[in-house]
Amino acid sequence: MLIELESVTKIYNQGQPNEVTALDSIDLRIEENAMVCLRGSSGSGKSTLLSIIGCIFPPTSGRAAIAGRQLARLPDRFLTLHRRRSIGFIFQRFNLLPALSVMDNISLPLLPLGVPPAERRQRARALMDRFAIRHRERFPAGQISGGELQRVAIARALVNDPPIILADEPTAHLDTGLSQVFMDLMAELHAAGKTIIITSHDPLVTEHPAIGRIIDIRDGRIHAA
Amino acid sequence: MRTLARQINILDYALSSLWRRRLKNASVLVVFTAVIFLVASFQMVTDALTGTAQEVLVNAPQITLQRMSAGRQVNIPLAYAGKLGAIYGISNIVPRVWGYYFDELTGANLTIMGLDTSRMPMGDQLRLTLAEGTFPAAGSRGSVVLGQAVRDMVRARGSQLLSLFRNDLSMASYQVAGVFSRATDILTRDLVVMSIADARDLFRIPPGQATDLCIYVANPTEIGTIARKIADLLPDTRVVTRPQILKTYRVVFGWRSGFGSICLLTALTAFVILAWDKASGLSLEEKREIAILKVLGWQTADILAVRFWESLLVSGLAFLLGVTLAYVHVVFLDGVLFRPVMVGWSVIFPPFHLAPAMNAQVFFLIFCLSVLPYLAATVIPAWHTATVRADSALSGA
Repeated sequence: MLIELESVTKIYNQGQPNEVTALDSIDLRIEENAMVCLRGSSGSGKSTLLSIIGCIFPPTSGRAAIAGRQLARLPDRFLTLHRRRSIGFIFQRFNLLPALSVMDNISLPLLPLGVPPAERRQRARALMDRFAIRHRERFPAGQISGGELQRVAIARALVNDPPIILADEPTAHLDTGLSQVFMDLMAELHAAGKTIIITSHDPLVTEHPAIGRIIDIRDGRIHAA
Repeated sequence: MRTLARQINILDYALSSLWRRRLKNASVLVVFTAVIFLVASFQMVTDALTGTAQEVLVNAPQITLQRMSAGRQVNIPLAYAGKLGAIYGISNIVPRVWGYYFDELTGANLTIMGLDTSRMPMGDQLRLTLAEGTFPAAGSRGSVVLGQAVRDMVRARGSQLLSLFRNDLSMASYQVAGVFSRATDILTRDLVVMSIADARDLFRIPPGQATDLCIYVANPTEIGTIARKIADLLPDTRVVTRPQILKTYRVVFGWRSGFGSICLLTALTAFVILAWDKASGLSLEEKREIAILKVLGWQTADILAVRFWESLLVSGLAFLLGVTLAYVHVVFLDGVLFRPVMVGWSVIFPPFHLAPAMNAQVFFLIFCLSVLPYLAATVIPAWHTATVRADSALSGA
């Protein structure tokens, strides 16, 4: 079992008038090399669940473990280290730094790992070749097309070779063609052994043949898994 | 090895970050450089002036005795030297004749000094103040030692002789026997030194008189005591000691320097406060960048390190540029911006070159007052920045 959540609850602004319970006693198990979709409307809690799986913040209560390591009560420093080594993120708007070149954007996760410049370039170029964006190597991210942005974001998520890929609403701002390309790439990574978790309510994602499991989330609770 | 590589990567990112915000950083660099330039220049001009004065006054008489009448200085009879024989500790008394000479052709006011250097205890050391030539020998007539400006004036006339008019408009001409070095410019640039007999002849001063008496003492620690005894013995005289002259220079330059330094340090403080204000107010773009970096596995310490390197590079470069420009300003441009403030607007002072004064303590102080506060003003607020929640990058925030 790669990811195990037991009675995980997340409460924002606890004890304050604007307290919000984003997740309420979630139990979830995700196998290694699974391809899972977290489905739910806006505000359902799927991004919060993705953040806990991605070690961005710990749950308010409950137990969260990844590959057998109990991460729920680790300090932020250790969560960052775990995130650095094990998790690749793909964001809704890709979240690239527009002034940085494609090469520099892809290399960003490697800098705190202490990967030397030559190796950084080598790894980034290998991914650029794979996703056919090598010709944009020196272009600032703010000057390339939406499809290329998507591929740069995927390359960045893969550059430190993490076993888990988390994608938060990745097709929300893409047209049908690019959404299809994105899902095909995810299927390819899944076939290569990665565990993939995608949050979405886009039928192009939820109905993609590579998705092995859909988890419905509503009001912070899992309704079907 | 990985730690070193990580630090190099972070430095690399800081450099690229500086380049991305090059317009903003360049404007900070220009303003910061200007402030450091002003502070360092001011301090260097002060040091150069006081240093030069101190160096030159080493050769000045330990006590100068002048006779006063009706509140004005008048000639002093040489017989006064005999009256001082009873004071224990005086090693030598040398008469001196000096005065001012207005040169109508150039409009320059020259200082004429008649000395008998062979009778002065530090006569040998006085030669060190010369760039070329020697002082007129005792009893010799018709030769002079000139300051740099006077030498230039003589050269401009295409002459080998300095010609001056006596009171009765008869002309006296002098061979140039030596020239003072540039290092003594502050006191010698307008100076003409001749034998005391020539000076008496030029100013028409009777043989038994001088303008003042230079008094040398055996033990320099007793200058003050001996000066008091002289003042008691000769109540119609003014007694000026070398420490008093030095103190006057220090007080004058120190007061002006202090006033200027307060103004400039206020500017520096204002700049640091502005830097703090700018650094603590984060733009949405900066917040987003930090959130992305945190999600991608950057620690808070990594983000602080980036800000530290950025600030160190900007402030370090500004410090080096500011100090270098200050050096050029003081040494090659004679501190043109601050010399009027330091020397005084109301005093007609001869032009002179400032000797470079590189005081490591002053540079360290300027470094501590500029680079360190800037680092603190930019890195401490960055703590706020670096604690932005990583999840704010999610969901397109």
